[in-house]
Amino acid sequence: MTLPQTQPAAHQIGAHWTHQDGEHATLTITLCHACSGRWFPPRDTCSTCASSDVENITSHTRGSVYASSVVRIAPRGFQAPYVLAYVDISGVRLLAHSPSSDRALAPGTPVELTVARIADTPEGAVTSYVVTALDDQHTTTGEQ
Amino acid sequence: MKPVYVAGAAVHPFGKHPELNAAELGYRAVHSLLETTGITPDTVDTGFAGSSYGGSLLAQRVLQRVGISGQPAFTVENACASGASAIHLGWQAVASGAADAVIAFGAENLSSFGGGTLPLTTNDIEIEQGMVMPAAYAMRAQRYLHDFGATVDDLTAVSVKNRTNGALNERAHFQHEVTAQDVANSRPVADPLRLLHCCPNSDGAAAVLLCSQEVAEQLHTPRVRIRASVVRSGTFHTQYRDMTWPDITERTAKAAYAMAGLGPADLDLVELHDAFSIAELLHSEALGLAERGTAHRAVRDGDFDRHGRIAVNPSGGLMSRGHPVGATGATQICEAYWQLTGQAGSLQVPGASVALTHVTGGGIFGVDNGACSVHILTAD
Repeated sequence: MTLPQTQPAAHQIGAHWTHQDGEHATLTITLCHACSGRWFPPRDTCSTCASSDVENITSHTRGSVYASSVVRIAPRGFQAPYVLAYVDISGVRLLAHSPSSDRALAPGTPVELTVARIADTPEGAVTSYVVTALDDQHTTTGEQ
Repeated sequence: MKPVYVAGAAVHPFGKHPELNAAELGYRAVHSLLETTGITPDTVDTGFAGSSYGGSLLAQRVLQRVGISGQPAFTVENACASGASAIHLGWQAVASGAADAVIAFGAENLSSFGGGTLPLTTNDIEIEQGMVMPAAYAMRAQRYLHDFGATVDDLTAVSVKNRTNGALNERAHFQHEVTAQDVANSRPVADPLRLLHCCPNSDGAAAVLLCSQEVAEQLHTPRVRIRASVVRSGTFHTQYRDMTWPDITERTAKAAYAMAGLGPADLDLVELHDAFSIAELLHSEALGLAERGTAHRAVRDGDFDRHGRIAVNPSGGLMSRGHPVGATGATQICEAYWQLTGQAGSLQVPGASVALTHVTGGGIFGVDNGACSVHILTAD
């Protein structure tokens, strides 16, 4: 029996669509056979053509950053600063934290899916699928 | 379709009004509209309110205070496009012949939420991940800078221009200029955006009287004609999208230009949705005011100044006026009305005869924006 590495999460975002394999993670995405639309989060009806002829497939573990920012004024339930990124992976674009980074990730940065804590709440930690940069290439924040 | 006119406009000055709820703000704007136009309550056929947080039956709660009760009344929610959506529905009512006189207004009190970023209430997957509107626009900004070689200084130039314009607007939340240094010294919000790259959360209301030609002729107030009124929703998908190109703005604008029989080159002024400085660059390109990837240079070159090639946000935009969500689209129409009737005072764009207003609304995942509205108005 393996013991959990961290305290049990009060809540895992997307737990049903997230598959952990050691350090790596993949996600469930939906492929529409009628129009080739791809969806994340997964769904049972294609939101482009309304077909139910859909199949759930497993994403890659790696993707690429489209854009990223450091949030410095947090909404309730989050602790600033934290890095958000839009990531392109297996034909879908999703929003994820990058807890291992303290700066915005440059467009094009290769990233890997993992699972990590993204916030603390009075009820406990919130975990989620997140991304980790595969290299040290960071963008400047535009500050002098 | 019958021609539709704006025959009156009224704004309750935007700012921090924690003691005035949305209905009170709306009442003040609508009351002022009745006083300035002389329209009587029994002449108003129907009313539309636009608000995101103003609560149930806002249209009734406002209109009944000035004697407009019994008539059909509707409260519309379309996020930041709520006020423009109310005007669009009022336009539909007059254009179809179903109504001759309509009051459309937008009202919002955001002070009740306290400070910080605007609360997003739809609880979708991105909001669950800690998405906030500044971050959404910050990522668009990062990508625009990356794709087109623009700089943070270019974003700052938008703030400086619009705050310079707003310094002359007595209805604006902020009525003083800022320097590039002020922007650079302001608090970081979401990299690369700082506080002065963002519009403020404000409280306020704006109302317009929409009417047929017959009613307009009876009123003896200055009038402008609505040549186009268009609302579109975002195209929903979760595949790759170019976030430097707001497709929703392009689609809405194209439909509006076609309806009006006019194009970007015909416009004298534009009031567009500069919720964040980057938004002016993205939307001005999608509206056809500058070539793709060049709006930052247009701002730098003075093209969008009050006396430039085309005045963009001569009222000061959301950046100066503030952004009481549901009131923004309505106040843009008011500003355009005063411009086209020569009543804009120190904000006046010389010889203005064609104006476009543009607002986009909503932070929900999978779309550029939830809603977008474009209106084109002419002096005659």
